[in-house]
Amino acid sequence: MIKKVLLRYSTQRATEPILASVIKQTGVLLNILYADFTSRGGEILLSIDAPEQDVGKVIGLLKQRGVEVQELKRVIQLDEEKCFSCGACLSLCPTRALRLADDYSVKLEEDKCIYCEICVPSCPVQALKISKYG
Amino acid sequence: MGKIKVKKSIAGINERIKRGDAVVTTAEEMVELVREKGEVEAAKEVDVVTTGTFAAMCSSGVWLNFGHSDPPIKMQRVWLNDVEAYTGVAAVDAYIGAAQLSETRGFDYGGGHVIEDLVRGKEIALRAIAYGTDCYPRKEIEMTITIHDLNQAVLYNPRNAYQRYAAATNSGEETLYTYMGTLLSNYGNVTFSGAGVLNPLSRDPNYETIGVGTRIFLGGTQGYIAWEGTQHNPTHGLGTIATIGSLKEMSPSYLRGCTIRGYGTSLYVGLGVPIPIINENIARTAGAGEEQLKTELLDYGVPRRDRPVVREVTYAELLSGKIEVKGKEVPVSPLSSFKLAREIADKLKGWIEKGEFFLNPAAELLPRDTAFKPMKQIGVVPLAKDIMTKKVVIATPRDSIASAARIFAEKNFDHLPIVDQNGKLVGIVTSWDIAVAVGTKKRRLSDVLTPKVITAREDEPIDEVARKLERHGISGVPVVDAEGQLKGILTTDDISMLVWRRRR
Repeated sequence: MIKKVLLRYSTQRATEPILASVIKQTGVLLNILYADFTSRGGEILLSIDAPEQDVGKVIGLLKQRGVEVQELKRVIQLDEEKCFSCGACLSLCPTRALRLADDYSVKLEEDKCIYCEICVPSCPVQALKISKYG
Repeated sequence: MGKIKVKKSIAGINERIKRGDAVVTTAEEMVELVREKGEVEAAKEVDVVTTGTFAAMCSSGVWLNFGHSDPPIKMQRVWLNDVEAYTGVAAVDAYIGAAQLSETRGFDYGGGHVIEDLVRGKEIALRAIAYGTDCYPRKEIEMTITIHDLNQAVLYNPRNAYQRYAAATNSGEETLYTYMGTLLSNYGNVTFSGAGVLNPLSRDPNYETIGVGTRIFLGGTQGYIAWEGTQHNPTHGLGTIATIGSLKEMSPSYLRGCTIRGYGTSLYVGLGVPIPIINENIARTAGAGEEQLKTELLDYGVPRRDRPVVREVTYAELLSGKIEVKGKEVPVSPLSSFKLAREIADKLKGWIEKGEFFLNPAAELLPRDTAFKPMKQIGVVPLAKDIMTKKVVIATPRDSIASAARIFAEKNFDHLPIVDQNGKLVGIVTSWDIAVAVGTKKRRLSDVLTPKVITAREDEPIDEVARKLERHGISGVPVVDAEGQLKGILTTDDISMLVWRRRR
């Protein structure tokens, strides 16, 4: 399964190699989709592609190290009421998360999305929306 | 092309529609049928082929009539949700264009969105100002209206449904935001518009059935072809149509306002044209496959009117989702909705099968021999001969330095062209040359002239001459004809005067 979580941590934790130690301890490969750090703390958007049990382990360890973990169900949304499948987004998507189905309707596979956001302002009817906080 | 084997009339087809036994196929189905049975059999079998397209068509808009207020107003300027409509016609008539931007929301909202909001029955803020006349004393008005308050709301689109349209890519280093969508740098993607075999005008490219008065599917209701579209260019396979229909009967499913990033607003228009299969020639074009539909891939990285052609492509390649550009596989975006194009062709087919839509024969067919001209160049670029000084004071190589000094002292200029007895330019002497020569043993101009003269041709554009002066750090050039005969002189002063006159 692929689970996406948003990690929030305080400035005190910033110097600790938290992710590296969790990877080492669990052997689970973690994919950082987005990271930001300011004077108020940091946040990392993480994609975990692993069996459910291992995902649980990763989240548990992160919490143990004082990281706030928020599970994200949907970060990018395709409003199917608004979308009329023009396809303007298709060639901009670097991972083919946006693709044309057999019936020529545009489909979004969020698992493949890396949130580069290039599709969002290129949609002529603003049918694509990103919210990093779920 | 031999003798025509199948001959049908539009009246005959309408008769079958009335009886409910007309055979109607969509263009996609027709392609299969022609592939399977050939054009003659297909022509015998099929009465009407339906088409469809759903694409951004900027040359779209709506004629509105608001009715008269009390006291009445002759609208001088009018805004709908802060989007200005053209009202240089009678008192309360106005035309709202799809590409007009909101004065408060910019690219986020424009005429296309107003049109969609009207169709949705939403309330629209109307604001108008006027200068006031004896017959129309009111000077301003502000209220909200809906489409139901309007006497007429007529969609009139000067140019719709291009027969085909060039695909776009970008060779440059920067991402471009164009009316052909977002074009990634270094040939990063390709975009195209058009619904392939469903594209209406591609099914009758010789304009044998489509014409003024042809009844069509427009915005979800029945509309008409009003005229040839602007820029109609059938000679190059780029025909267009002007369309008309009642906005009041239209549906927001087939008319959508949109914003094209970095370009502006537009209107997605749903449009379908029925093609009557009156003979096998029409059956052949109506059933031509995607592999037969070609267009050019243009490089938008070159910001000129005539953009370079990268390669020729077929719609079959474009619709496959990726094509090869410069040895690299590149993802392709359609910009028009094939899904809705298909839905429109199906819907039109249903209407005809149910006897709700009859063919209207064209009152006049569209022209087949027109071409699209580029813009007439406004402000002709002046040439050297247009602004040069023609009465030039000259000297010969044998004249004395003293005589040249006198000339410079009397006249207000710094360049003295030196010509031989035949009037041919042999050199130039400047006031500086004379100043340096005074006090030396030099006596004749031949001793001080510069023989290698930078000159301008009579027919050289001024911009070119100005660049030449700048490049060589000089303030003037003699102007000569092809034989080297001196014709005049052109200085930075002449160019400054020109610029000064232009500004005025």
